[in-house]
Amino acid sequence: MRTFIALAANPDYPTLEDFGKDPIWISIIKAVGIFVLLMLGVLFGVWFERKLISRMQHRYGPNRAGKFGLLQSVADGLKMALKEDIFPRTVDKVLYFLSPVIIAVPAFLAFSIVPFGPMVTMFGERTPLQLTDLPVAVLLVLALASIGVYGIVLAGWASRSPYAVLGGLRSAAQVVSYEIAMALSFVAVFLVAGTLSTSEIVRAQSVGGTVSLFGMEFSTPSWFVIQLIPSFLIYVICMLGETNRVPFDLPEGEGELVGGFHTEYSSSLKFAMFMLAEYVNIFTVSALAITLFFGGWQAPWPISLWDGANTGYWPFLWFLLKMVIVFSFFVWVRASLPRIRYDQLMAFGWKVLIPLNLGWILLFATFRALRIDEGNRTLIMTMLAFVVLACFLIYMRFDIVAQRRKREQEAEVAAEFEELGNAPEAGGFPVPPLDLPHYHGVQRKEVSSGTH
Amino acid sequence: MELYVPILVLAVLAAGFAIFSVSIAPFTGPKRWNRAKLDAYECGIDPTPQPVGGGRFPLKYMITAMLFIVFDIEIIFLYPWAVAFDKLGLFGLVEMVLFIVTVLVAYAYVWRRKGLDWD
Amino acid sequence: MGETITFWVLAVVSVSAALGLVFSRKAVYSALMLGAVMLSLAVLYAVQDAPFLAAVQIIVYTGAVMMLFLFVLMLVGVDSSDSLVETIRGQRLWAMIAGLGFAVLVALAVGNLVVAPPTGLAGATQGAGGNVPAIAELIFTRHVFAFEVASALLITAALAAMVLAHRERSRPKPTQKVLARARFLSDHPSPLPGPGTYARNNAVDMPALLPDGSISELSVNRVIARHEAEEGGLPEDPKLAEAIRQAVEEESK
Repeated sequence: MRTFIALAANPDYPTLEDFGKDPIWISIIKAVGIFVLLMLGVLFGVWFERKLISRMQHRYGPNRAGKFGLLQSVADGLKMALKEDIFPRTVDKVLYFLSPVIIAVPAFLAFSIVPFGPMVTMFGERTPLQLTDLPVAVLLVLALASIGVYGIVLAGWASRSPYAVLGGLRSAAQVVSYEIAMALSFVAVFLVAGTLSTSEIVRAQSVGGTVSLFGMEFSTPSWFVIQLIPSFLIYVICMLGETNRVPFDLPEGEGELVGGFHTEYSSSLKFAMFMLAEYVNIFTVSALAITLFFGGWQAPWPISLWDGANTGYWPFLWFLLKMVIVFSFFVWVRASLPRIRYDQLMAFGWKVLIPLNLGWILLFATFRALRIDEGNRTLIMTMLAFVVLACFLIYMRFDIVAQRRKREQEAEVAAEFEELGNAPEAGGFPVPPLDLPHYHGVQRKEVSSGTH
Repeated sequence: MELYVPILVLAVLAAGFAIFSVSIAPFTGPKRWNRAKLDAYECGIDPTPQPVGGGRFPLKYMITAMLFIVFDIEIIFLYPWAVAFDKLGLFGLVEMVLFIVTVLVAYAYVWRRKGLDWD
Repeated sequence: MGETITFWVLAVVSVSAALGLVFSRKAVYSALMLGAVMLSLAVLYAVQDAPFLAAVQIIVYTGAVMMLFLFVLMLVGVDSSDSLVETIRGQRLWAMIAGLGFAVLVALAVGNLVVAPPTGLAGATQGAGGNVPAIAELIFTRHVFAFEVASALLITAALAAMVLAHRERSRPKPTQKVLARARFLSDHPSPLPGPGTYARNNAVDMPALLPDGSISELSVNRVIARHEAEEGGLPEDPKLAEAIRQAVEEESK
C-alpha cells in the first residue's frame, strides 16, 4: 500500500512532527546559514558558470581577480555597487525602486523548505537540517514563484519604456506558462510519496518499493527519477523555462528586446538584485529537482554502501555535490543550445508539455490504481484501454490532417517549380537569363589574381 | 504557527538585505548628471512619447493569463487528489478523469480557435 | 500570543492596503494594494492552521487572478476615465441581491458557530491524517458534484477569454516565403539602407548618405519625418529638411 508505511522508523529521517520545535535562536542560525549559503552560492555560481562555459568554448574565462579568477564575482559586485544609480526620468519612482526587492525576497524564501540533511545535533539541540517544513511545502514554492512574477511585470511596467514593458509582459507570460507544466510534473511525485512535505518526500525515496510481476518480486529503485522519468524530463525542460535560462532566455533576448524587463536597470545594485534573484531561482529549481527526483540529501549509490553516509552533516555534502552537478547541467545547456523563437516557446509549453504531462499523470495513476485496487482490475483495464484508444484516435486524427497538409504543400511546391521552370521571371524574382555565356562552360582559361 | 516562524526570520533577513542594498545604491555610486542618460533607452533615438494611460498592447496576454488561471485551479485540485490517491482508489481516478476531460474541452476549443498560437 | 500579534499587525496592513486600493489614483497601484490585502489574508489563513488554503490563496488569487488584473490594466490603459453609464440593465439591482445573498451566507456561517461549538481545524483534520488529505477526502467524496461543476466553470472562463480577447485572422499569416516574394515584387528587393551608412551619426533619426553625399530618401524614417514636419521642427541642414519634406509628401500621396 502506501510506500512510507513500509519505511523503517528511522529516527534520522525527519518527518513533519520534527519541525516547529526549534528554539528561536536555532531558527535564526539556520536562516542566516541559508542566507549566507545562497549569497556565497551566487558568487561561486557566477564564477563557476563563466569558468565552465569558457572551458567548453576553449577559452580560459575569468582568471585575473584572485586565484583562478575566484574573486571575479566579488569584483563584479563591487563594481555594481560603485556605479551610478540611475532613476530615468520617465519611470514610476516607487515601483521602479520596489520591484528588485519584490523579485529578490520570494527567491530567497523558497529555500526555507529545502531539506539539506537528516536530523543533526546543532549546539546540543537535535534538529532537522532544514529551516522548516509545511504540509504544503511544494505549494509554498509555487506560491513564492507566482509572487516573483510580480517583480518582473512591475519592473517592466514601472520602467515606462517600450522594451521594458514588452519584455516584462513576455517574461511573465513565459514564466506562468512554464509554471503550469512544472506544477503538473510534480503530481506524479505526490502520487507516489503521498505527501506534499519535502522532508517526507525525501523520506519516501529512502527505500524502494517492490513490484510483483508474473509472480516474481522486483524491487524498484528508490529515487523517483527512475520510475517517474517522464515527469522528470518535463520538469527539466520547465526549470529552464521557469528561470529564463538558455534556450528559453527570451526575456533578455538581446537582439530583440535589449535587456527585457530590466532594460532600464542599467547598472548599480538594483540590477544586482535581479541577477541575484535569477541565480537564486536557478538554485531553487535545482534543489527542488534534487529533493523531488534525486533522493534529496541521501548519498548516491557507491557512497550509500557506507553506513554513516546518511547521518550527521555528511548528507549536506552530498546535497551540495548534487547541486553542483545540476547547475553544471544548466551551464552545459547554455553552451550547447541556441535560443528558440517566442512563438515556438509558447507553443511548446502549451501544446506539448501540458497535454503530455496530463496524459502521463492519468496513465501513471491508472497503473497505481491497478496495484492498490486488486478487486476492480478488469474495470480499470477496460478504462485504460478506453483511454489509450481515445488517445490513439486523437493522434490518428492529427496525423491524417498533418499528412494531408504535407501532401498539399508538396503539390504546391511542385507546381511552383514547374511554373518557374517554364518562365523564369514568372515569380518576379530577378533571375539571370539562362543563356548567359558563363553558364555554357568556360571558353578561356581564367587567370587568378594571386601570385601562386 | 511555529512552522512559519523560521520563514519569517528568513523573510526579514532577505527583505532587509534587499532593501538595504537598493537604498544604499544612490550613495555608493558617483552622480554625473546627463540628460540623455536619464532618457528611456531606445537604441539612441528619442524615447517614444508615452501616451496617456501607458498605451495599448495586444490582448493576447489576457488569454494566456486566463488559461493560466484555469490550469492553476486544475493543479490545485490535482495536488490533494494525488496525495490522497491511495485512499480514494478507483473512484478518485474516475472523477479526476472526468474533471480533466472536461477541462480539456475548453483547452481543445482554445487550441482549435488558434488561441494558443502566438504571432 | 503570536497569533494575536500577527492578527493586529496584519489588520493594520490589510486595512491600510484596502484604503490604498480605494484611494490611490493609479489603477496599477490599486491592483497592487489588492494583492497586498490578499497576501495578508493568506498569512491569516496560515496562522489559523489552514496551510493549504493559504497556499491556494496566494497561488490562485495573488498569483493568477491578480496577474490577470495587472495584464488587463497594463494592456488596456485604464488611466482614461470610465463612464458611469450602466452597461448591463439593472446591474445595481442584481448587485444588491448578490450582496444580500452573501450577507445571509456569512450570517449563517457565523450563526453556525454560535449554535454548535467549534471543533477546531486541528481536530477536524486529525482523522484523515493531516490538512491536505482531509481536504482531499472532503472534495473527492462529499463534495464531488461541486468539484465536477467547477470544471464547467473553468470552461466558461476559458471561453469567455476567447470571446473577449481573441480575434481570429481573416487571412492566413504571411509566411517568410510570401514576404520574400512580396519584397522582390516591390521596387526595392534589397533591404533599405541602414541608418548610419555613410552618415556621421549612428542613429535612426539620421538618414543614410549615398556615396555621393546626397541623402538616401529611402532611409528617412517615415514616423520621425511626419512628426518633425508636423511639429515644424525641421532640421537646419537644407538637404535633410528637403528629404524629410519629400518623405512626408510621398507618405501623404
